[in-house]
Amino acid sequence: MNIDFLSLIKESEALNSSVFSLIRLQLLSSIADVGKDGVACRELKAAFGVSDGALFTNLRFLEETGYVTSKEITLEGKKLQSYQITSEGLLAWGQIKEWLKKFVECGGKNNESG
Amino acid sequence: MNLDKVVACLKEIGFKPKINDFQDRLVIQKAVYLLQRKGIGSNFEYNLHVRGPYSPELTKEIYGHKSSVEKLETSSRLNNAESRAVEEFKGLFPGLKPGILEVAATYSYFAFERHQDVMTALQNVKRMKSFYSEAQIAVGVSKAKEFLFQPSEKELAEMKEESRAWQDASLKDMRG
Repeated sequence: MNIDFLSLIKESEALNSSVFSLIRLQLLSSIADVGKDGVACRELKAAFGVSDGALFTNLRFLEETGYVTSKEITLEGKKLQSYQITSEGLLAWGQIKEWLKKFVECGGKNNESG
Repeated sequence: MNLDKVVACLKEIGFKPKINDFQDRLVIQKAVYLLQRKGIGSNFEYNLHVRGPYSPELTKEIYGHKSSVEKLETSSRLNNAESRAVEEFKGLFPGLKPGILEVAATYSYFAFERHQDVMTALQNVKRMKSFYSEAQIAVGVSKAKEFLFQPSEKELAEMKEESRAWQDASLKDMRG
């Protein structure tokens, strides 16, 4: 793949830069991974080992951006909150992944030639 | 991938799922994982996701064929070995409790697929499924072992040796 640095920067302008924090990328990726199935909030908390505050703040951000939706589910008689990716979220995550791949590849090539 | 085979297993288990129900989809995901580890040839690819061992393809397929899955329509038949595996599964997981299935599938992934030692596998289950009680984790792990553990020659010899020691002790005890 032939990637030049300037076009990479140009492409980045189309991305939602506010998603670029580790926890937001992890959440978006994990929720996108399970597609229509969705993921219970307690599973996200256990997997990432973050505080309730950090988890809910970032989930709320993704929800307000329109990338995920939440709904109440029942599991073994317990009411739980579950998060599901939206088509907008899936599109954004796809763009971010593509861009990150190019970014890493471009960095690697520049380091080799330098 | 063979969704027909999955439906044949569900039919044999006697589980008629509602695909819009989160709990029913969870039961299918974990039951199919465990049954595949036991040799059922439905061939869905599983990887470790935030929800434990999980197959996105299986989710796509069950949504894509929602009606036939819910009605348990299938042209696939289980062979003798597969029927035995499903019978064993039914006996070990009565009521298809989602929590127990989740723990059992997650432990199986670490212990039998990734070949982690017992302690590491258990620690990883406790980390990923920290919202389950110690008792639920213990039951799930024990069921996974009972369903899938296949001792090596060396382990069989060790187990025999261990049970012989117990037998000797009890004989001694009986003789006073």
